[in-house]
Amino acid sequence: MKKVMVHPERCVGCMQCMMSCATAHSQSKSLFTAISEKPLPKPRVHVGAGRYGEGFPNRCRHCDPAPCLSACLPGAIFRDHATGTILINPERCINCASCAMACPFGVIRYHQEYSAPIGKAVAVKCDNCLERQIPACVEVCKSGALTYEEPSSAMKRKTDEVARSICADAMKENTTPGFALLNAVKRAEVRMREEKSCTI
Amino acid sequence: MHDMRTIAEDSRLLLKKAEKDGIETVWDRFEAQQPSCGYCEMGLSCRICVMGPCRIDPFGEGPQKGVCGADADIIVARNLCRMIAAGAASHSDHGRDLVEVLEAVSEGRAPGYSIRDEQKLKHLAIEYGIAIEGKQILKIAGELAYAMQEDFGTRKKELTFVKRAPAKRQEIWKKIGITPRGIDRETSEMMHRTHMGVDNGWLSLLLQGMRNALSDGWGGAMIASEVSDILYGTPMPVQTSANVGVLKADHVNIVVHGHNPVVSEMILLACQTTELVDLAKQKGAKGINLAGVCCTGNELLMRHGVAMAGNHLTTELVLATGAVEMMIVDYQCIMPAIASVAACYHTKMISTSDKAHFPGMVHREFHPDNAKVLAIELIKEAIENFECRGNVYIPTEPVASIGGCSVEAILKVLGGTPTPFIDAIKAGLIRGAVGIVGCNNPRIRQDYGHVTLTKRLIENDILVIDTGCVAVATAKAGLKMPESVKYAGAGLAKVCTQLGVPPVFHIGSCVDNVRILVLLSALANTLGVDISDLPVAGAAPEWYSEKAVAIGVYFVASGVYTVLGPMPPITGSMNVVNLLTQGLNDVVGATFAVEPDPEKAAVLIRRHIEGKRQKLGLDSMTI
Repeated sequence: MKKVMVHPERCVGCMQCMMSCATAHSQSKSLFTAISEKPLPKPRVHVGAGRYGEGFPNRCRHCDPAPCLSACLPGAIFRDHATGTILINPERCINCASCAMACPFGVIRYHQEYSAPIGKAVAVKCDNCLERQIPACVEVCKSGALTYEEPSSAMKRKTDEVARSICADAMKENTTPGFALLNAVKRAEVRMREEKSCTI
Repeated sequence: MHDMRTIAEDSRLLLKKAEKDGIETVWDRFEAQQPSCGYCEMGLSCRICVMGPCRIDPFGEGPQKGVCGADADIIVARNLCRMIAAGAASHSDHGRDLVEVLEAVSEGRAPGYSIRDEQKLKHLAIEYGIAIEGKQILKIAGELAYAMQEDFGTRKKELTFVKRAPAKRQEIWKKIGITPRGIDRETSEMMHRTHMGVDNGWLSLLLQGMRNALSDGWGGAMIASEVSDILYGTPMPVQTSANVGVLKADHVNIVVHGHNPVVSEMILLACQTTELVDLAKQKGAKGINLAGVCCTGNELLMRHGVAMAGNHLTTELVLATGAVEMMIVDYQCIMPAIASVAACYHTKMISTSDKAHFPGMVHREFHPDNAKVLAIELIKEAIENFECRGNVYIPTEPVASIGGCSVEAILKVLGGTPTPFIDAIKAGLIRGAVGIVGCNNPRIRQDYGHVTLTKRLIENDILVIDTGCVAVATAKAGLKMPESVKYAGAGLAKVCTQLGVPPVFHIGSCVDNVRILVLLSALANTLGVDISDLPVAGAAPEWYSEKAVAIGVYFVASGVYTVLGPMPPITGSMNVVNLLTQGLNDVVGATFAVEPDPEKAAVLIRRHIEGKRQKLGLDSMTI
């Protein structure tokens, strides 16, 4: 079964996954109209900034066992066994934040949703876009930081990558010198800003 | 945390105050923007047409071409060229505004403005081929304004000031077809070429980018600088001071912000009128204190010694003193957030240009015919605002500085000819000269790049000439007094002490970067060589703006090796990166380098200068 894979080294921090996620979870499913909906749709994936400003798409891992599910007293959180997806029933959610406290990844937020009872803030998180063929975040990601694939094929690819990386010839190979250059400059900038002793 | 943001003490203390007052600053907004979009940072996103927008996957698996078929090279080149066009347009439109004032003065439509440097007017008129014999000054001014306006159009084969460049440089431009023809024409052609389906050769795009930048450096910006001298006087060395401590707790404080002296000069005149000074005293102040930030501050500093409250990243913090009655802005580099800072205090914010409106500011439009009257009205309102002042916090004492080092002033100090300077270079007392220019950028700790690079260069006997935000940074750091030779190497210190000058010359605002071109041409012509043969370099350690891109490109296209701090959005195309950092050497005899660490940038520059010394047959060192 296909799953969403995250490849942080490929994230360029463009935040398109966030916009696409919010749109996919809007009433109108269109960016241009979604921005004027009430309540305003919000993303369920969030791009954080690393120490050197590098992007990281932070998304629900749909853990098993899931700490959020175990922590949910009213039984609003449940697993869709066909896909392994952890889902939330907004009708049952009592907005107690236990799940958010239990979540090790900080991916559960609280806000109003068009699919929840009107005026009620509920726990909201990634639902793997079960209504769609491909999750919206993956579909929009053009740098390959998010992929939707069989874990076995992703593992094979990773194995091949590791195998290639220990080959002496491949060590020199840098397929994206421009991105490496940009990151080198950004790292230097951050280190300079953080330098404790000012030598001038 | 504030130490990470700035090395300037005034900024650091005011950041603490701003935090306490709940004010959001440029650094907060910078952090909120992280991570920044990698496509945009690499120049790989294209918003030029609506078949897109498009982006190229730098990892090679996603899209490699835009909808139109443009690849990474084309998209990066188009984006960079549009930055050049915007930068060139900014300086050149600034120049146009000055030419219009010159025209209005000649027609008697600009009360308050006058011709303050008649000699320069006549000199330029001759350069433009205008017969001046027996003509009245205002007539000459009108004819010069007309002739300069022609430089903006498309009626010429080349711009008038191109002839100022050394003959060898002009030949290079001719050979590769980048001699600028019209100021507006090159920007217009750049925009045309970058439209979808026009120029899709990344090399030919970049060549036009250089021609466009040259139309700024040897055209629009040069006109801006020269006409400012005609209208407001050619700068001569003048004593001034810098940092936020130039604000005075017991005075009505007025701060000018922006770039064009058209507004700030009239404000200065108004601040000096006896009636208004008396009014300020009636209201309980000791007088009126005018200070500058940004380049319009540099314009006033250069010509009148008006004190400088801060550079780009200090513009919001200046208001957090609570001591500013009124800030008057014209255009360029004025953060639209600034009025929301003023809203926390009593400060009145006034926008003055028909081209530049800002949220939260009161718009009072300046034109040559109403400027004098409007300036007086505004200063009156600022004085009346004095009594609305709350608590004032001016955390530092100002640092003394020397400004006003125009080319004319430098030549005067040298006895009318660059020869003494050339002799000092030949003798190795001075190894070379470097123009450090450009902005502040929250990516780099404020002033750290400027001050570190300047110190490393002068201690290695390299004369530094600076403009814009760099000039303010080094003034705040105390590098611009004759005593500052204590920071210089023995050779440079000896020469500066003999001449009684500081080791760092304040040559003006950002449009005054063209003074560096004029100076380099004078040196090259005296030696009978090209600019690219000289032991000189340029640097922009904390640049941020499109104008800086245009400046950097006209420096390089004029033969000056230029080291940038922040990386321009070009890493999406290694072809473009390699051309700009290596290939251009074979085309224009100079390249860019990118090095955010000023310690390392200093090494690059010293190595370059020693290399040029060796080629000239002078003594050289291995760095």
